[in-house]
Amino acid sequence: MNAKVEKRDHTASIPDIAADNRPASRRTTTRVQRARRYALLFVLPAFLFLVLLNAFPLGQVVWDSFHYRNMVNAAQQGWAGLSNFVGVLHSEIIGKTLWNTVLWTVLSVAGEYIAGIVSAMALNQPVRGRAFFRGIIIVPWVVPIVVAGMMWTWMLTPEYGVINIWLVKLGIIDKPYYWLGEMNTALLAITFVNIWRSFPFYTISLLAGLQSVSREVVEAAAIDGAGVMTRFRKIVMPQLKTVSLTLIFMHIIWTAINFDFIWIMTEGGPFHASETLPITIYRYAMKEFDMGAASSLSTLMLGFMIVVFSLFYFSAMKKRQET
Amino acid sequence: MGGNKKLSLLLAGVLAVSVLAGCGSGGGKAAPNDGGSAGGTQSASQGSGSSQEQVILQYWNADDPSLQESKDAEKLIKEFESSHPNIKIEMQYISYEMLHDKLVTAINAGDAPDVSWGLPEWVGEFAAIDSLLDLTPYFDKWSDKDKIYPNVIDALKVNDKLVGMPNYLGIRALEYHEDMLKKAGISAPPKTWDELIAMGPKIKEAAGVDAFGITGTGVRVPQELIVYLAQNDLEIAEKMDDGKYKNTWNDDPEQLKRAAEVFQFYKDLADKGVIGSKTWGYQELDTNLALGQYAMSVNGAWQEQRAKENPDGMKDVKIAPIPYKLKPATYMEVVPYFIYKQTKHPEEAWEFLSFMMDKPYQDLIHPTNSARNDVVSDSQWGKDFMALSPTGVVFPPISLGGVTQAMIDSLARLYLKKDSPEDVAKWLSGAINDSLKKSGDLSSK
Repeated sequence: MNAKVEKRDHTASIPDIAADNRPASRRTTTRVQRARRYALLFVLPAFLFLVLLNAFPLGQVVWDSFHYRNMVNAAQQGWAGLSNFVGVLHSEIIGKTLWNTVLWTVLSVAGEYIAGIVSAMALNQPVRGRAFFRGIIIVPWVVPIVVAGMMWTWMLTPEYGVINIWLVKLGIIDKPYYWLGEMNTALLAITFVNIWRSFPFYTISLLAGLQSVSREVVEAAAIDGAGVMTRFRKIVMPQLKTVSLTLIFMHIIWTAINFDFIWIMTEGGPFHASETLPITIYRYAMKEFDMGAASSLSTLMLGFMIVVFSLFYFSAMKKRQET
Repeated sequence: MGGNKKLSLLLAGVLAVSVLAGCGSGGGKAAPNDGGSAGGTQSASQGSGSSQEQVILQYWNADDPSLQESKDAEKLIKEFESSHPNIKIEMQYISYEMLHDKLVTAINAGDAPDVSWGLPEWVGEFAAIDSLLDLTPYFDKWSDKDKIYPNVIDALKVNDKLVGMPNYLGIRALEYHEDMLKKAGISAPPKTWDELIAMGPKIKEAAGVDAFGITGTGVRVPQELIVYLAQNDLEIAEKMDDGKYKNTWNDDPEQLKRAAEVFQFYKDLADKGVIGSKTWGYQELDTNLALGQYAMSVNGAWQEQRAKENPDGMKDVKIAPIPYKLKPATYMEVVPYFIYKQTKHPEEAWEFLSFMMDKPYQDLIHPTNSARNDVVSDSQWGKDFMALSPTGVVFPPISLGGVTQAMIDSLARLYLKKDSPEDVAKWLSGAINDSLKKSGDLSSK
């Protein structure tokens, strides 16, 4: 049997070999095509998810932003051009809400990062009960936002809030203060609560990063005379750069679009003092039923985010290529 | 291997179909007999062997499920289901804070419940969305229609169509701690704004608490402000000849002067030490009256619940008309039930609604705040509040979202931005008309 096969192989003419190869080549192509087809099929559910849950609603928002869409005013329908954009940009409170959004985002992310890195450094030290503290620090982050918001609202109440009682007893303030009811403190109070709730996420992420920093390198630097701050700046921080940037950019997005904390604690008040863009969008949509205005402000926000992150991404890519 | 591929293909196909099915609207909309969605039906024959179709009514209730009245209502609804085997009630508790947005979303998705609770502020906007069933023909045929206060029914009419039925009444009155007033040598509650302001320092000195409480933020601000405006003979939006609405203060110096007087009254309350906080929400207001943190406030009969929870703190609380300037007025909150146009079972929905409006149900669930004239409690939380209903004012049936926000902002302008009462009155008049323009309710007259 083997000899017969061998003989046939050795005596095969060139055209015969070519003839034998043709079906093999066809088989290979078909297999690749089939694999591609299967790949497409398996990607299909994810693609459908993406189209139905992301692309379609986003496209609809952009489309609506160029149309009059008022749910309670049937006369106000149709193509609007840039009217909705002009309307929201000329509204009395847009400057205030833009500033609030920037302030809320920058202060929150900065505060969360500082609290996160300080606590991560502390929890990275070989102290007694470290495992317990590492476990307990995550508690604020697992508290649902609505519970945290209501709890802090009660704690900050002037009449019976425990924060005011403590501050008065410690002599820091003379009489209870309505932190959430005064224009100059409402946003800052919510920002503080947001930092309190979100910093544990930074802590655990940065702690994971800190554990990959080589102890030997740090000790060698110390022997060479590098002080604590130098070791932190020159050795620790460079190794936390990737995780820090990821955390910061994720939280810039999450914080800028956050709605629930502010709504639960002040509904954007008093007198728009804590109103950010998502609250304004909500008001346009669900209080004034002006979906066109809500969509145009959403589109502006979306466009701004895309531009900022694209600029960052391309400049980072350029730097990487240069190095 | 071939078997694995087939299985993978099958799974991918099932997943894709599931995604499409999940993203689609309830099949019950297309096929009313499959019992899939709001107002859907299902064949009772599947379970009981009867050939009669069972109607499922979606009912969204904003009551607090922990209250005794909710438990009593659930019991009565079970009895209703027993006596109406063709109707099944699927009830969901959704707080007022959530209910508005959930209803707006559901209406727009074509998935509204059959029956729901609502707030009077939503009547105009839901009618403008054209989502409410016209109940006029059902009400006209209803045997108990004469038992409902006529002004209550008027409050639920839009363009002469009845778009809701009164669930309960939230009439406002002055609630005061009698002992605190007595301590200050005051024998009777204030009848006018001037009397109230004059009492402020006396009560503060004698009882050590603020004389009066107001809300400075949230949904109750417009409900309080509309009362003081009405007491000075003003409306937030007047119905004009073309059937649309307009705020006319800026067109009439006399009205503008009276509007400024209302904001001057608010300013005096703060400047003369009659009130403590200017930025309370309604929770703080209600809680602090029950805790005796201040002597008086404009409040509702729901404080009876606090009196039960805190009998010592509330035992001296009495009811009186709200102090006024030109004429007595109070806010008559007519809390409605709605039936939605999207319902496939209007007859059954009305059957259920009229059951909740019947005397036995109202006697048990709303003994002190029913809209029926044959259900009046002898307690102060019943008769004293009901006695004020002839002076009750309501919001006009317009889309109120922007208007009420402007009313809230007007107080913030006065107290936080320190604008003058005249400027606030002018600004509010313009802001109300801007909002009316947006919603298409503004008169061209």
